[in-house]
Amino acid sequence: MIGRSDHLHDDHLVECYFADRRGEALDPPSAEHLADCEACETRYLELSTFLNDVRTDADAEVDALFTTERLRTQQEQILRRLEQVSRSARVISFPAQSASMPMTAVAGRVAPRWLAAAAAAGLFVGVAVGGTLLAPGRVQQSGSTMRVANTPSAAARLAPSPAVLVNAPSVIDSIDDDAFLMQLEFALERPHTQELQPFDALTPHVREIGVNNR
Amino acid sequence: MSDHQPARQPGLVPAATAPSRERRPAPGPSSEDTRLAVEIRELVARGAMDEARDRFAGLVATHQRRASRIAYQYLRDAAEADEAVQDAFVKAFGHIASYRDAWPFEVWFTRILINGCLDRRKARARRERWFAPADDVGTRDEARLPFGGVAQLDPEAQLLARERRARLSSAIDRLDGRQRTVFMLCHYGDCTPREVSAMTGLNESTVRVHLFRAARKLRALLGAKS
Repeated sequence: MIGRSDHLHDDHLVECYFADRRGEALDPPSAEHLADCEACETRYLELSTFLNDVRTDADAEVDALFTTERLRTQQEQILRRLEQVSRSARVISFPAQSASMPMTAVAGRVAPRWLAAAAAAGLFVGVAVGGTLLAPGRVQQSGSTMRVANTPSAAARLAPSPAVLVNAPSVIDSIDDDAFLMQLEFALERPHTQELQPFDALTPHVREIGVNNR
Repeated sequence: MSDHQPARQPGLVPAATAPSRERRPAPGPSSEDTRLAVEIRELVARGAMDEARDRFAGLVATHQRRASRIAYQYLRDAAEADEAVQDAFVKAFGHIASYRDAWPFEVWFTRILINGCLDRRKARARRERWFAPADDVGTRDEARLPFGGVAQLDPEAQLLARERRARLSSAIDRLDGRQRTVFMLCHYGDCTPREVSAMTGLNESTVRVHLFRAARKLRALLGAKS
């Protein structure tokens, strides 16, 4: 395929072929040479025949596939798609009820506000109920009831026991504040494990001794 | 055939009825298409979309056969080539504001078309990596050949034509990517090396070299023909 020095190079022949097919004028020296040199003219004809055959085959195939009818359909589809190009995006309408309610910034924060209010209310109720249940009087009462129910003998043995205090207001009145607080601590410090309570009842405590001595 | 002929829409320009094998004049920056494209750009800028669409229909009618030919040679599948051509025209209309008349409309549009075809080829290659093809693409389109084309020939001639096309298709597929692009644009798209240079960004002399090498390689691959 390398061109000889006296003949046209193959790439020149290819250029000549494409220029000729486009209807352009050939390069004058090449045209002159092709007219004079029989060998180059033969090569040029061979090349032209080959490329023309390639083109003819390809065109025949494409023309058979893309018929006039098909091109018309293609054109219609293109124009249909072009109609959508300039149109703005379609907005889907919401139900009338939702649409009638103006969507403001305040409305958008309704849910968080309700949540905050519910959380605050829950916290308040929790604190109030907790405060009520853990009030000193109730703790004393519930603790003493349990003690009395579980260990009746111990309750009977301890004269200033909370159960007795609850059932006998006159005795409570006579005890000063220190004694009351000591009894409260005593009630809270007692073991809550059922198995240990009999042992605890039998064990003398310093505070009990102090109270009894008064 | 005429029973199924779709109703003609306003602004629909008749498609080219005969295959364009005639020599086309080399388009220049001031060609008719370029002038029309500039007008469409101005109409779009003014917001006269209906008029712009009507004018654009003329460009579609002028270029769609050539575009289909190029797209088919790239993709070797008629349906996909059809879609690629549609996409290219829609994209060209959508981006007409960015069209500059330094180059003919044909060059600008062909560049859009080729990029679309290359994207489709890449996507297909990715698909084929994961899925086995149902059948050969060439065979698929052969089956769709309507009467009036090659299908009019006798069975032997049909078979020979099919084999010839298969060989040609195979040979073109074996070309280097740039050689294939340059050869297709010059041979099937009737583009000059200068236009191909503008479309592909390759140097004009490089385009000539690729064209020559493509032609030489094709002759070697299809040697029996010459």
